[in-house]
Amino acid sequence: MRAIRAIAVNTFREAIRDRILYLFIGFAIVMVISTKLFGMLTVGDESKIVKDIGLAAMQFFSMLIAVMMSMLLISREVDNRTVFNILSKPVRRWQFILGKYLGLVAIVAVNLLLITVILVVMVLIYTGQFDPMLVFAAFMTMLEMSVVAAFATLFAVLTRPILGSLMTLAMFVVGHTSADLWMLTRHLPGTLTRAVITVVYYLVPNLERFNFKTEVVHDLPIHLAAVGWAVVYASAFVAVLLFLAALRFQTKDLK
Amino acid sequence: MADVQLSVQDLRKTFHPGLFEEPIEVLKGLSFDVRRGEIFGFLGPNGAGKTTTIKAITELIFPDSGTISVCGFPHTSLEAKRRIGFMTESPYVYPHLTGREFLHFCAELLGVDRSQQEDRISRILDDVGMAGSGDRMMGTYSKGMLQRVALGQALLGDPELLILDEPMSGLDPLGRRDLRDMILRQAAAGVTVFFSSHIIPDVEALCDRVAIVVDGRVRAVGSVRDLVSREADRYEVTFAGATPEDLSTRLLAHHVGSGEAWVRVSSGDRDGLMRELADLGARIVSMNPVQATLEDLLMTQGEGAGQ
Repeated sequence: MRAIRAIAVNTFREAIRDRILYLFIGFAIVMVISTKLFGMLTVGDESKIVKDIGLAAMQFFSMLIAVMMSMLLISREVDNRTVFNILSKPVRRWQFILGKYLGLVAIVAVNLLLITVILVVMVLIYTGQFDPMLVFAAFMTMLEMSVVAAFATLFAVLTRPILGSLMTLAMFVVGHTSADLWMLTRHLPGTLTRAVITVVYYLVPNLERFNFKTEVVHDLPIHLAAVGWAVVYASAFVAVLLFLAALRFQTKDLK
Repeated sequence: MADVQLSVQDLRKTFHPGLFEEPIEVLKGLSFDVRRGEIFGFLGPNGAGKTTTIKAITELIFPDSGTISVCGFPHTSLEAKRRIGFMTESPYVYPHLTGREFLHFCAELLGVDRSQQEDRISRILDDVGMAGSGDRMMGTYSKGMLQRVALGQALLGDPELLILDEPMSGLDPLGRRDLRDMILRQAAAGVTVFFSSHIIPDVEALCDRVAIVVDGRVRAVGSVRDLVSREADRYEVTFAGATPEDLSTRLLAHHVGSGEAWVRVSSGDRDGLMRELADLGARIVSMNPVQATLEDLLMTQGEGAGQ
């Protein structure tokens, strides 16, 4: 456990000393604060627009940070060969993968916390009320990002950083549309297209399971079972993806 | 076999660079043993397989076949890794950490007791001459300083077997001297030192035994004295009153300058050369036996392997 913790802490420390992270966080904060502008320009309940755009910005920038930092921090460790310092010590390769992943999740969590605090304060200014559901939405975004970071970790082990980033971004897009595609198959005549979409549906996580934005923005009821299922779903995906990443890394020659 | 600290037997490794590229067979059945407490040099030209062997020992690459044991344990076991201190050819360190933070990170990986970490790290920084720079970011270090910190992390776990890959490369004379002293100190403290190099004077000065590796195989193993005494001696003769072109004796090298000629012949040709020079009426200025060196041996082995 000490090795995993040490690797996670070092990953976190590396990220927070990297200017790129602050660039992303800066953009995210600007985006959340500028929701007020969107609220003024749009017809409708301003506070709902602030929440809607704020949550969307939270999700988008968390995804960017998860993807970019995963690629940067894992690939850089291998490409710069600093990984030699780690793996020549009494550390298993799966511990390295798990440590890197946990460090990345911590980075995303801190970023999410920061954006959530800003968004909560913005909404508090608008409505005069603390909205705890924003914290719930942030938690669900964190679950989603834990899956995205696990995908990014797997792709970082499998391929080069740019390709890995693109693959993770593609997974993110497909993950948010796979359920709609699945519904579409009912109306498709071709069996091949239907088969391909079915395969994609089962291989790529349905990230819409973590999307409770509509419920949070419009104060709709949230079913506890759906939340519980999302937690189980995310945990299962993360476990499988990290297992695959560790399996591949286990036999990788580090030249 | 109890006193063997590192055993490498019949190690083979082929790299497959790509679908349309030829596989590269780097290790071709490489074997050697390193005994407890000795300084063992792993000498060979670039591309001989030294770094690949070291990466196999430290489990950074996976050999196709062969066995490696460290202090009696399979090299893949954590027990083996706990006993190894490893320094890479170039210092691969984190520019975002200070030297002290880096050593703390390594201490955590090694499982060093937290209550002892600060003392041990301060001692190590002092030992490698970095006591005054330990709290600076490593991104600001010179290559020599990085090498010292990299050496520090190798010593941090009090290793039984110290593996150093080309430790002298890139160091200035002062740094090389410090490193040589450190290796000797470690050996005196009972640590087995295994280091690769292509810098022959360092190997000759430090090593109890040497393995000469060429083209993925160990060509010779033994003490420097044993290895070089196997080679035939040569003689260098300086004379006046004749030129190398006048001689029919097979010359290994020759040179003419300032009225005198200099030739090098194998010991078997020495007497023939003397007779020939006497017949030509030449005056012999000097005749010196030349001991074979590790460099000669390395060149001979390299030529034998077609390198």
